[in-house]
Parts: sequence; structure tokens; C-alpha cells
Amino acid sequence: MIVAEQKSLEEIRRMIAPYGRVLILGCGTCVTVCDAGGEREVSFLHNALRAAQARSGNGTQTFFEYTLKRQCDAEFLDMLTGRVEDVDAILSLGCGIGVQAIAERFPYLPVLPGVNTSFMGMTNEWGIWDERCAACGDCRLSETAGICPITRCTKGILNGPCAGTKNGKCEANKDMDCAWVLIYKRLEGLQQLENMRRYYPPRNFRAIPRPKRIVSKATIDVGGENE
Amino acid sequence: MLTAKTRNYTGTSQTIPIERGLMYSSGTDDTQNYRDGQTKKPSPDRSLMPPCQAACPLHMDIREYVDLTAQGRIMEALQVIRNGNPFPSICAYVCTHPCEDACRRSQVDKPIAIRALKRFAVEFGGDRMVQAEAETTHGEKVAIVGSGPAGLACAYYLRKLGYPVTVFEAHSELGGMLRVGIPQYRLPREVLDTEVQRLAQMGVEIRRNTRVVSLDLLFDMGYKAIFVTIGAHQGLRMEIEGEESPGVIDGATFLREVNLGLKPSLGEKVAVVGGGNVAVDAARTALRLGIPNVEILYRRSRAEMPASDTEVEQALEEGIDVRFLVVPTRIKRKNGRLSVTCVRMELGEPDARGRRQPVPLEGSEFEKEFDTLIVAIGQAPQTPGGFGIRMGRGSTIQADPITLTTNRAGVFAGGDAVSGPATVVEALAAGRLASSRIDDYLQRRYPLADREMKERLSGDLLPDTIEMIRKVSRLELPTLSPEARTKDFKSVELGYSWEAAISEARRCLRCGMGAEILFQDKCATCLTCLKVCPYHVPYLDASGTIQIPADQCQACGVCVASCPAKAIVLRKPYDRRHITEELDHALKSAAQSNSKPFIIGFCCQYGLFGTGALAGLWRGAKASIWIVPVLCTAKVEADHMLRAFEMGAEGVFIAGCGEQCARENTDFWVRQRVAKARKTLAQIGLEPERLQTFVSTTTNGGDPAEELDRFAERIGNLYLASIIMQEVRS
Amino acid sequence: MSDSLFEEKLGSDKFLVTTEIGPPKGTDTSEMLHHIDLLKDKVDAINVTDGQSSVMRFASLGGCLLVKEAGGEPILQVTCRDRNRLAIQADLLMAYSRGITNVLCLTGDSIDVGDHKEAKPVFDLDSVQLLRMIRTMESGTDMGGNELKGAPKFCIGASVHPEADFIEPQLLKFDKKVAAGAQFFQTQGIFDLGSLRRFMQYASQFDVKILAGIIVLASARMARYMNDNVPGIIVSQPVIDELAGVEKGKGLQKGIEIAARLIRSIREEKLCHGVHIMAVGNEGVVPDILEAAEVVDVHV
Repeated sequence: MIVAEQKSLEEIRRMIAPYGRVLILGCGTCVTVCDAGGEREVSFLHNALRAAQARSGNGTQTFFEYTLKRQCDAEFLDMLTGRVEDVDAILSLGCGIGVQAIAERFPYLPVLPGVNTSFMGMTNEWGIWDERCAACGDCRLSETAGICPITRCTKGILNGPCAGTKNGKCEANKDMDCAWVLIYKRLEGLQQLENMRRYYPPRNFRAIPRPKRIVSKATIDVGGENE
Repeated sequence: MLTAKTRNYTGTSQTIPIERGLMYSSGTDDTQNYRDGQTKKPSPDRSLMPPCQAACPLHMDIREYVDLTAQGRIMEALQVIRNGNPFPSICAYVCTHPCEDACRRSQVDKPIAIRALKRFAVEFGGDRMVQAEAETTHGEKVAIVGSGPAGLACAYYLRKLGYPVTVFEAHSELGGMLRVGIPQYRLPREVLDTEVQRLAQMGVEIRRNTRVVSLDLLFDMGYKAIFVTIGAHQGLRMEIEGEESPGVIDGATFLREVNLGLKPSLGEKVAVVGGGNVAVDAARTALRLGIPNVEILYRRSRAEMPASDTEVEQALEEGIDVRFLVVPTRIKRKNGRLSVTCVRMELGEPDARGRRQPVPLEGSEFEKEFDTLIVAIGQAPQTPGGFGIRMGRGSTIQADPITLTTNRAGVFAGGDAVSGPATVVEALAAGRLASSRIDDYLQRRYPLADREMKERLSGDLLPDTIEMIRKVSRLELPTLSPEARTKDFKSVELGYSWEAAISEARRCLRCGMGAEILFQDKCATCLTCLKVCPYHVPYLDASGTIQIPADQCQACGVCVASCPAKAIVLRKPYDRRHITEELDHALKSAAQSNSKPFIIGFCCQYGLFGTGALAGLWRGAKASIWIVPVLCTAKVEADHMLRAFEMGAEGVFIAGCGEQCARENTDFWVRQRVAKARKTLAQIGLEPERLQTFVSTTTNGGDPAEELDRFAERIGNLYLASIIMQEVRS
Repeated sequence: MSDSLFEEKLGSDKFLVTTEIGPPKGTDTSEMLHHIDLLKDKVDAINVTDGQSSVMRFASLGGCLLVKEAGGEPILQVTCRDRNRLAIQADLLMAYSRGITNVLCLTGDSIDVGDHKEAKPVFDLDSVQLLRMIRTMESGTDMGGNELKGAPKFCIGASVHPEADFIEPQLLKFDKKVAAGAQFFQTQGIFDLGSLRRFMQYASQFDVKILAGIIVLASARMARYMNDNVPGIIVSQPVIDELAGVEKGKGLQKGIEIAARLIRSIREEKLCHGVHIMAVGNEGVVPDILEAAEVVDVHV
């Protein structure tokens, strides 16, 4: 799922500084799971902002809290009607998708991002999330024993490993495993080392060129012949 | 139309129609409400009835008073006890504690010593919390025949309801079996007298030495309803040859005589026939009268003995021999003594009730000589024929189990007279039930008011859960040594000390008030609750929904505070008030007192009063400290900590029980939340050291009060420094 | 065959010696020119590094031009970290036109170890793909399949890591590089001849030339630092101890001694086809090393 991290309080305060009444809007899906923007985090941020305001002695901002089940579908955003009349800005703790969806729905209201959407990943253990997928649009996990070299190798190379691997860890971050060592071991276990002996040609970096869109809906000519 | 699936607490899932705009809103959280100054409605109690309460005939709120004891709030515990039982001291001494038999702690180690805790509370509270006020609001008089526990309870409750009540007792003293059956070393006389006197204080008319022989007479005297509760005092006979010989006496009669002050001469060697409490009581009483040689003859084995385990244990300790699988068949008088022929038994096939029937072994007769043979094989009621009520099996009175009515209009019956010999607490329950049935009858209330009962918790602890629960030995009530206690009739059991009571109470697992996912629509199935639970309780069911089984949850509160969607609540938020409310109260007091700097301390109620280590907290130091009592620091959230700073606290600390916490891993979670709050403090411009955790026990050598003093001093210094900085700037 | 002099020497049996020069961080090329002058006649070829350890420096292509102008034989180090396939192909066309015909194909160190930690890592290609790309260009088309108006011809090499703690994946990659057309290999720093021997047992089956990488250390602290921070370098404990054992100021001397000793052993035992000396800032002492190792005479 999408994993995000809340921005620093400092940065958030700077962003919302010009606005008198701010609605802190949480999202009940991905950012809830990664503890960045669910109802609990909304409440915590609210408390932090009030505490910061109290300690600084000045500041007359008013904050409101609300959490939507999701921010990325119009029907969920319907629930905001009536709640945004008396606010000057929305601080969304949803991922970048949510922020943009809300901005589209309320073009005359500043919509600010409260989290840094960081990657698509999974929970390692409570409190630790790891990236797993880069949405490259050209998935080849069948060839690398289900371990993605694009997200888990810091260089994202396809003919790995590089010479920087030491103790099975990556040269860039000694806490992270070298993806290609993992792939080698797994392929060995699956008796598929041939996969790694093959030459991998350079990636198609524009499998789906930006701005990306996927269309599954067919174009139907009403009244005409079926294709 | 939008719909959402919810679970109500009975565990069924239902689909309810939801209007747009209401489906998923925050603000159902009370913290939001409190902040906006809205409702102060108490959180609903959705807890399940624990097995202890379900097993108790009085359905006492045991979980509640045990928890209050664990917090050191003994008077409030006593209040809860008295709410459920008008004569708790009696139960504290002699109750057979079906609650302890049902206690789920026994699946981990040993059940909670509930009776001992109750005794601690009543002894601690003494005469306080007694609600002896009553006024007459009805005109209908009620007569109660018999002053055993059933009669006493019925009198109490009817008097509370406002009826004029008269208790008729054939003997000179009130109490029934409590007075004449149970020996003083088990139920001290003073205790019984104190409880009984209360009835007189309440305005119950008591007629001693008055044997009722006709119910018609009572109706003629103007009583509108009668509760017949004459108990079962007539000893059953063995029906063997020589039973009328002098020297063969009835057990219940024997006890009555001794309890009324007589000292029958029994000789040197006494045998008691029977295996129930009366038999064991008789044997132990004989011992205390100075008889050197006392033995019990019982026809089945130890496992089938109806007497309570503790009684039998204590009897054996005192030197009483119990001969199992022995039955007397013939008694002869020989040379001024009794020559008793006994036969050995073996256990044969089980009867209809599943008890194995003893069968005599051919050719195993033997003779024994005794001076006295006490027969205590059971008792039956002795109902005067003049009552005109229908009898049932074993000379018991026939009464409807729900309404307690007999075949005569206005005549109710309950207690041993109906059930045969049973326990004190069952009699109390019968008396209470009778009072409400009589009330229904006299007020012509029909159909009968239905007793709403909470759903019961069912299910055993799984091995996975049990593994994670720390094993703590049960603290038994100290007793007098066997030598010391057989010298006289002083009470065998001594009470708990304060520390013992609180330690024992903390072992309670809090069955039925654990976590539940109240807002299923908010749940993102993030699995946080599953990952953080120290007892591995939440699980994913086949449909991929998180379930938190009520029968495994230990109510620690960690998942409640960790759930990112705030979808989990405790079934019974058993804090008197929310932490938020308590905090606001403390903050208000701090603001009113106007002394700066001030510190807010979240202190575990169990550790604070329970262990007493931080009881000396209120010291002047360089800051004033306001305590927010919480029931386990695992419930303190980072939000609460920030709020304290927001409202002007210069320092905040959290004092928990550390490793002594009755729940696992709580210290870890407190520290996680403290780390999170500290990160934010740094960004607000406050030193992270202003937020500290302390452990309120002294097991590792440190003195928490000393640490706290140092913390207060540090806060004072920081405060002064910030004042100076402000002045410098301006 | 390209017109490369170095390639000619690769074809012979001589003990090869190469070294590398790190370009300056700035426009002041005086020191680099001095080193080029010092070394151009003492070694068979000079590598010019390409943003080594992800530290931004004067471009290696420019450095190679300076080597060429001075009369030396350059090896252009190309990493995939900073340039995409268009840029690399463009650079190579230009390099060939200026007579730079030796290329060492590297994936490149990660951005994290360098001094521009917020830069975008490109890695459009990796080293194996780069080797193949060059062979493709040599056949007259670019990577897009378009015909080239004038095709280059290069002598290409790659790196290999014989002292890796988990050698199997490295050998697998080595195979791929050989299959992709690599003619010579310059290894990561060698400190333990045993691992070199073992590696050579495997590598000698291929028709490629292996030059053992020799790192010149100046102190135990430098050794430890490189161990922890420089990718691909594993200094063995005996070497660290040896360096730690000398008095202050004599570290570099010791480093020279160790390097020379390694080179001599490699040459005497004919362990591999040559050495590649990495002086890491101390390029000035390379002649001393060569002298100490008695390899002053084996080049033209």
C-alpha cells in the first residue's frame, strides 16, 4: 500500500501560517495503516498544533478535525460538503493523490499536503515499513525470484550485483540487504540460477510515459457494429 | 443508500442503513466531544458478565470490587460489595465461593482468592458504607418465618422497599444455621451479631422464641404475605439397628447445643458419620471440646466428599482421621461404650446423577468402639402440618423456582427448606429473589418484571494467551497453626494485610471487559492491534476481518491506544472518568491555584496507591505537582501528554509500575509514546527532557520519589531559564 | 581490433601496469598535468576516474584528452550513474574521434556515498549493458537501432571483485561481462593473494586479461575509513595491523612497501596479467612503488 510520513511540525506550521481556520483532514485507508494520517494522527497533529500555538504565546488559528474513509474517490469527498464553508485551508494528511483530488474538488480552497508520500510498500513489523514496488509498469518479478531489483537495489540495476555489496548489505545503507544477494540465494533455492546468468537488456523507462493513465474501458460506438 | 456492517456486543453482525455524511466521522471519540465542550455522557458499558459473577448466586459485581481493591480503593470496593450483598461479612467467612471455582485465573495458575478479598474489604471498612436507612412507604405487612440467611436477606430487601416486616424466629437468637450450625471458629459470633443488629436498626420487627405453627394465624394477624424459610435442621437417620442407643447423637443437634453454649460430654473417643460440612464441623467442634480422639467415617472416597476442600484440609491438619469407604451397619452398647460394626465399601457404578454408588465388600465387617457416635448424614426441613403447604421430595417444601410461590396464595418459600441443605449464598439469593417476588405480588405486578441479564462471557483461555500471562502465586489467607487453633473456638483464618490484598487483587484477568472493535467501518485492517497485542489475541478470521475475542483479551488497553483509526474501545472503560476528563480536571485545579511552574503527572492508580511507593508524592519541591490518576499507564496517549503542555504544564511525567505491571509490555508502549511526544516537543521549542517516565516501584533499588524530586528541580530550573530569556528578549 | 596501443599490449605477454588519476574538483588542472607527466612513460595506460565515490570532479573525458595531448595512453572510465544512454553514446562518439579508444565500463558508486546526496541517480544502464552497448555501436547502430554515420571501435574492460565475501554472484557477473565483450579487467583492491589465486583459477579459462588492483594506503586510519565507507574495498586485518605498527609519519612509506610487495609477488608467481595501481591522492609515489617492485623496465 501507499506509505507516507508526516511532515515535520515546523514545515506544517509554516505552510498553514497564512490561514486562520484550518481543517485537518485524515484518510482512513493507506495512511491509517502506516500511522501517518489516520484519525489518531489527525488528533495528535491537532494537539501538537494547539500546543505549539499555546507555547508560542501568539497565534490565533482555529483547527478542525475530520477523517474520510478515502480521499481519492469523489463519492467520499461528497461528505465534505458543508464542512468546508468555514475553513480557510485544508491540511490533508492523505497521500499526494488525496491532496490533489481535494484540490480538484475545491479549486478555491488552498489544499496543503501534511504528509510526504514516499513509496508503495509493506509493513515489516509494527512501526517499520519498506518499499517494495516502484510501479515501473513492466513487472519482471518472475525472473528475479519475486524480489524487485528496482526498489531493493539502490542503483536499480538489472545485471547485479555491483561490487559494493559487503556482508550481504548494500553499500548505500548498511541496514538494507543487497537485493542481488537476496535474488541469487532465492534463485539458487528455486534452482533457477539460469535467470541470473542471462543478460538483461536495458529497461524501458517509459513503459507508460508520464502523465500516466490506464484505460480499461472499451470505446463503444452506440448504434454501430461491434468490433 | 449507504450501508455499513456493525457488530453489536453479542457478536452478531448486522447491516444498518446509514445516512450520507454520518458513515465515517471522527468526533464519535469522546475526546473530541470534551474539547468542544459538548456532552459529558459516560461511555456505555458493553462488558460481558465474567464467570465469577455468573457463578455467584447473588451475581455480585466481583470483577469491579476486585479491581477497586487492586487500586487501593477499598471503601469503594466495599460499597460495591454492599450493593450486592446485605450481609457480606458472613459470606466473607463462610461462603463456598462458587466464584473462585469459576475463576478463569485457575487456567493460568490459581483462582483469585475472592472470599479473602471480600473479608479484607469488610474488615477494613467496618461499619462504614452500611446503608441502614429505611422508611415505610407501603401498608402491606410481610411475615418472614425463620431468620436464617434467606430470611434475613428477604427482610433486608423488603424493608428497603418500604414494607413493614416481622421476622419470626423459634430460637432465642437469630441466624438459623449461621447461628446454630456453623461453628464459631468459622463464623465468629460478633460478626454475625453485627450484621443481624442492622435489621433492627432498619426497623424490622423481630420476634424471638416464637415458633410459628399456623400460617392462617399469621394472615389473621394482618400479614399480607408470608415467606417460609425454616431451613433444614432435622437430622436424617441411618436406619440401622441400635441407632436409638444412648451415645448416638444427631450432628446438627450437637452443633446447635454447642453453639448455644452447652458442653455435652462425649467421652474420649468420638466418631462422626457423614462427609458434608456438618459432619466435618461436628468433628472439629468435638476436637475443640477437648476430645482427644475424633474420626470421621464416610461411605465414599475423598473425591466425592461434599464438604469443602479447605474444611477437610484443615480437619486433617488438626489431627482428625478420615476413614473413607466405611459405613456403620449395626450399633450395640457394650460395657458403657458403643460397639459399632462397620463394613468396607467399594465404588460401583454411577447412579442417575453420575455419582458412583458405594457397594459393600463381602466379608469386610469389622468392629470399632467409641464413646459417642455423631450422625451427620444430612438434614431435612421440619414443616409443621398446620402450614398446609405441599411438600416435595425429602420433606422439602414445594415452591416454584422462578416465583418462589407455594400452593397457598401469598405464601412464598425459599432457602434450605425448599432446596434441602445448600449454601449460605444460595440462601441469600433466594431471600433477595423472594423480596422482589413478594413486592411484585403485593403490587399486583404481572407479568413479572423481567430480570435483564448481561450476556455472559464464555470460553476458556487458549494456550497461546496463557503462555504470555505472568504466573503469580495465589496468596492464601494465613491461618492459625493446627495446634493453636484446636485449643478454642477462635477464628481459624486470619485476614490479609494491605499489601497482600492488593497483590492478590492484581492477579485478576478482568474477564469480559476487554477490547472490541466498536467502529468496524473505520477499521482499515492495518493489523496494528494484532501486532502490538502482548497476548496475541486479535486474529484475522476467514473473511479477512480482524476479530478480538472477548474471552482472550486481558484488557490491557495497548491496542486501544495504538489503533491508527481509533476504532477500538474497551468494553467497559472502567476508569471512573476518561483520562481526558481527569486531565482537564487537574489542569483546571492547576490553573486555579496559579502556582507556577506546575507539573502534570500521570500516575498508575494501581502503582500509586496499590504499592504505596509513590504515596509521598505531594512534596513542595520547586514545582507543584498535579496528579492525573490513570488505570495503567498503557492508556496514556501521546495526545494527553501534549495537551498537558498545551495548557501550561512545564513538565509532564508518567509513573507506571514498570515490570510490576500486571499486564505485559506496557512499559514498552509508554516509552514509544513518550518518544513520539518528545519528537514533537523538540519541534515546538520545548526540551524533550520535560517529559519523563518513572517507575513507581523500588524493586531495582532506585527511589522513585527521589528521581521525581530531581525532575521537579530540573523543571524549575528550565522554567526560570525561560523566564529570564523572555525578559532578556523584551 | 581498435587502434589502441593498450589493446596491442593486451595481446602480448608482458606484465601490464596501469594506474589511475583522479581529476581535480575545480578548474585547476596543474596537479593532474604534473601527475600525467610523471607517469605517462612509466605505465602502459592511465585511467582517468569518473566521479569516483560519487564525488563531483572534472570530467574523465576531459582528463583523457589531457593524457592524450601529453602523449600518454588514456583509459576512459565511464560510469552509468550520471548519464543516460543518449549522453553516454554521445560521449563515446566524441571520445573515439579524439583518439581515446580504451573504455572501462562501470556501473558507478551510489549517490549516497558522495558529496551531492540529493542528486538524481541515473543508472539508465549497468556495466554489462554498457559493454554490450559499445559492441552494438561498433557494429554501426546506436541503441535506438539507428544507423551511425561512422562507427567507433574500442578496447573495453570492466571491473571485478575477487575479494568479495560472497563470491558466487560476482563470478556470475564476471561471466556476463566476458560474454558481453570485456577484454580486460581491473580488479578491486587486492590485499590477500589467496583470493586472487582462487579467482584466477576460475578466470583463466577466459581469454581476458586480469590486472590486480593495488591500493596505496597511507595509514591504518585510512585503511579503516576505506573499509567502512568506500564501496568495493575490504582491507584485510593483517594489513591494517602492519600499518598501525609504524610510527607517525611513516605510514605512506609502509603503504608503498606493502604495495610493492604485493606487486612483486603477483609478478613473480605470474598470478595474473598485471597490476592496476590506485594511489588515491598519492599519485606522486607511483614511480617509487614501481621501483620498489622492480617493474621499471617492463613497459615501452
